[in-house]
Amino acid sequence: MSNDADRPVCLEAKGVWKVFGAKTDAAIQMSNAGSTRAEVLKATGCTIGVKDVSLQVQRGETFVVMGLSGSGKSTLVRCIAQLTDSTLGNVLLDGEDLTAMDSSSLREVRRQKLSMVFQHFGLFPHRTVIDNAAYGLEVQKVPKSQRLERARDVLSEVGLQGYELHYPGQLSGGMQQRVGLARALTVDPEILFFDEPFSALDPLIRRDMQDQLLDLQQRLQRTIVFITHDFAEAIKLGDRIAIMKDGVFDQVGTASELITEPATDYVREFTEDIPKTKVLTAADVMSAPTDTAMSGTVHASDTIESLLPVLLKHGEPVGVVDASGQTVGIVNRAAVADLLAGAQ
Amino acid sequence: MTATVPTITPSVDSHTLRRWGPLAGLAAGAVVLQVVFGASENFPARWDTTFAAPIDDAGNWLRANRQTHPVFTGFFTPLRTVVDAIINAFTDILLWLPWYAVLALAAAVPARVRMYRAAATIVGALLYTGLIGFWEETMQTLALMSTAVFLAVLIGLPLGVIAAFRPGFEAALRPVLDVMQTVPAFIYFLPLFMLFSIGNVPGTVATLIYALPPVVRLTTLGIQSVPESAVQASEMYGATPRQTLFKVQLPMAIPSIITGLSQTIMMALGVVVLATLVGAKGLGSPVLQSLNQRRTGRGIAAGLAIMAVAMVLDRMWKSAAERDPLKRHDRRTLLGVLGAILVAITIGRFASVDTFPEVADWTLFDPVDDGVVWIRDNLRWVTRTFNDTLVTYAFLPARDLLSTTLAWPVVVFVTGWACWRVKGLGFAAFSAASLLFIGLIGLWDEAISTLVSVLIASALALAIAIPVGIWAGRRPKVEAFISPILDGLQTIPSLVYIIPVVIFFTVGVVPGIVATILYAMVPGVRITALGIKEVSTESLEASRTFGATPRQTLLGVRIPLAAPTIMAGVNQVIMMSLAMVIIAGLVGGGGLGFQTVVVLKDSEFGLGFEVGAALVLMAMILDRFTEAAADKMQPHRSAT
Ligand SMILES: Nc1ncnc2c1ncn2[C@@H]1O[C@H](COP(=O)(O)OP(=O)(O)OP(=O)(O)O)[C@@H](O)[C@H]1O
Ligand SMILES: [Mg+2]
Repeated sequence: MSNDADRPVCLEAKGVWKVFGAKTDAAIQMSNAGSTRAEVLKATGCTIGVKDVSLQVQRGETFVVMGLSGSGKSTLVRCIAQLTDSTLGNVLLDGEDLTAMDSSSLREVRRQKLSMVFQHFGLFPHRTVIDNAAYGLEVQKVPKSQRLERARDVLSEVGLQGYELHYPGQLSGGMQQRVGLARALTVDPEILFFDEPFSALDPLIRRDMQDQLLDLQQRLQRTIVFITHDFAEAIKLGDRIAIMKDGVFDQVGTASELITEPATDYVREFTEDIPKTKVLTAADVMSAPTDTAMSGTVHASDTIESLLPVLLKHGEPVGVVDASGQTVGIVNRAAVADLLAGAQ
Repeated sequence: MTATVPTITPSVDSHTLRRWGPLAGLAAGAVVLQVVFGASENFPARWDTTFAAPIDDAGNWLRANRQTHPVFTGFFTPLRTVVDAIINAFTDILLWLPWYAVLALAAAVPARVRMYRAAATIVGALLYTGLIGFWEETMQTLALMSTAVFLAVLIGLPLGVIAAFRPGFEAALRPVLDVMQTVPAFIYFLPLFMLFSIGNVPGTVATLIYALPPVVRLTTLGIQSVPESAVQASEMYGATPRQTLFKVQLPMAIPSIITGLSQTIMMALGVVVLATLVGAKGLGSPVLQSLNQRRTGRGIAAGLAIMAVAMVLDRMWKSAAERDPLKRHDRRTLLGVLGAILVAITIGRFASVDTFPEVADWTLFDPVDDGVVWIRDNLRWVTRTFNDTLVTYAFLPARDLLSTTLAWPVVVFVTGWACWRVKGLGFAAFSAASLLFIGLIGLWDEAISTLVSVLIASALALAIAIPVGIWAGRRPKVEAFISPILDGLQTIPSLVYIIPVVIFFTVGVVPGIVATILYAMVPGVRITALGIKEVSTESLEASRTFGATPRQTLLGVRIPLAAPTIMAGVNQVIMMSLAMVIIAGLVGGGGLGFQTVVVLKDSEFGLGFEVGAALVLMAMILDRFTEAAADKMQPHRSAT
């Protein structure tokens, strides 16, 4: 998880709407005039899936969309991935408008740049694990030996060596999703979409998969749009998190921004149960550096939990350094105590 | 019930009205029509506007121009030549090969993917046909059926694919497929016979027509039931629609398509015997011959041979579709086996041991005849009583009620009313118009007679099938025992049923009805058992938790929950009854079946068309009606 504000924007959605039903214009008008989803449904028979969502994802960033069931997350990611046509709005990828492309250019973009991991895996039950993983290259007509070699490498990377000739039906859920992940990685995409990929897995395997994803991301630095309904997962994986409710983004920000400055009560409800010491970092509690002698240093990205022992052992203030080792601030006990008190 | 409720609100009134109104309307309408039209007893003959003449003319024209007209010289004749050549070449190859090579090659298909049981079944089935002296006929039938099934796939697969992607096309195709399948195969013969003249081809094409609908339907179904996520995954990786179709949708539809092919083979079987009537070679001839000679044993011998062909084809298809590379033998082994077979063929050809050794023939089954004759002679009082009772107390009264006592408008009205109740006004109009049409072409009495036979046979078949099905559905052991028997019964050509029945009951309506009961019972038992078995254990346990007795659980939970499925079985029983009753015309069942026989014997093209139309309409009414009734039983419908 890194958070450089100045990386180039890679994927951008501008005013995306998705309305299910026939009278989309009327529905959009009503919704713009302030009617709720339920009212729009009753009056027009249309369901507002996504309402005027805009977002920007930077290259190498993991952007998480978090929301409860029915909030429109899947619909949004499908609009962005162009699996469904959005009713209004544009989706730009490296400055190119996906919504304006014909199907063959879109196909080309998909082959070059996109991949997706599905909630229910979406594997091909009639193909072996390795043929599943090699599918993206197969449709690009990459020669067989080459694509199988690549698929084999990726499979061993996700821990599936030895299972190449099995069928998906012979694997456990966690292993199946690894196949899904391998299939997405084999094509070496620029952008990866994940639609609740780990929701169907049990907690231990889910944590395992999350760690594996973090690990991969550390090495590969892909741009990721990740959908989840689990706030803990969002915090663990996301550089920035969008909280979605009833088809709109309530708030977009880093985990600590959401926790320290929740924009709505809805967001606050989510953040309340989160152990703050595990999420907030030294950067969130530091103050401007002073001349006082510092009794130790921590990194700006260290969590409160990990800086507490330093603070308690060495006395205050503790210096905070950034990635390049430059001192950017100090932390003292009072600031941490205030934060923890506010958390109760 | 409403009387005990003191508050009489308008809603109770409208409820009562909704409930009893239609019934009152029915009674009133029927009485009025009966009073008005009761005097004229039959469908007025003077209205009889037969359109047989122009069609007869067309038929004569066909006959006269078969040699010369471009439609024939440019289309039908070449088509006939090609199909005929395929079948003949295939037959020749099968007969040229030493018999054991055919066995080995056929068995190699499943053995290749280690399906040894299927291989053993194939070997056993083919050995049987050879031992019983039908090797040549079996090869002929095998060639004809494979050609028909192959053509069915060749045509049906693309149609099914198109239908899966174009809802408009599917909507247009569906009624056509329905009709193709509901029309008894018999009906196709005459026009096909006219177009292709005598030989293998009309039979093949009739088989093809019959076999096509399951392939198309199950291809469409298979493609449509591929999970959306798999299709989208494919799209997401930049697959073209073509790539998605060939790499994802079609392969994932294969199990469904295989099911379609199995059904196709079953369908094709029944037609094979009938195809003999229009000159096809093969196992149909011994069946017809034994029917003529009234030799039950030989009929069974030939019927079993047809069943064997079905089994061979079925196992070969299923194993050919097995794609699992882990199960496949490696190439070296395959080449080795193939080489060995080639050597054996060469040796066999040189040593002239190519024809199946004459060990026995179908006279092996003659003792069965003695049993049948014994039963006939000693149980005559049973069969006679049964025959007389059925005729005097069921068939005649019902037929007289419908064709003489009740005026024809009453029959039309009541039918329309019932159709309206189960499906709606459109269907009611269709049914009424159809009945009227049948009357107008002068087939009213025949249609009524056929209908009565169908209804009696269906009712009796269901009276046996439903209890047996419930029993089998509750007891896995019973099911395991009767399931293979049912499989067999369903594969034996319908004509074989007729032979012993004719011996017991001589000729008339009853043998037809009895054969129909035997034949139509099978799907009834099967589907009822399925419905009973499908009821979720959770519902059953819930019932038991409340302390319900097994009987209460059965009557209160199991049967109601299984009712829609059972109703689907009723539909099948009725449709099979109709098809069988037509065939029963061969043994004097009367009605439309008898007309069919006349048509085929005298090549009466116009009459054939009329009889065909009447049968199609009746089949459609019965099919839609039972289907709609089954639909109405779906819990989610009745709940709303
Ligand atoms: N094809 C469709 N037709 C009509 N309405 C739809 C369709 N797909 C989704 N919706 C509606 O859009 C809304 C958002 O659905 P969506 O699947 O995007 O939710 P989600 O946030 O992904 O939920 P979950 O966490 O359960 O997957 C829901 O109210 C749903 O009923
Ligand atoms: Mg979703």
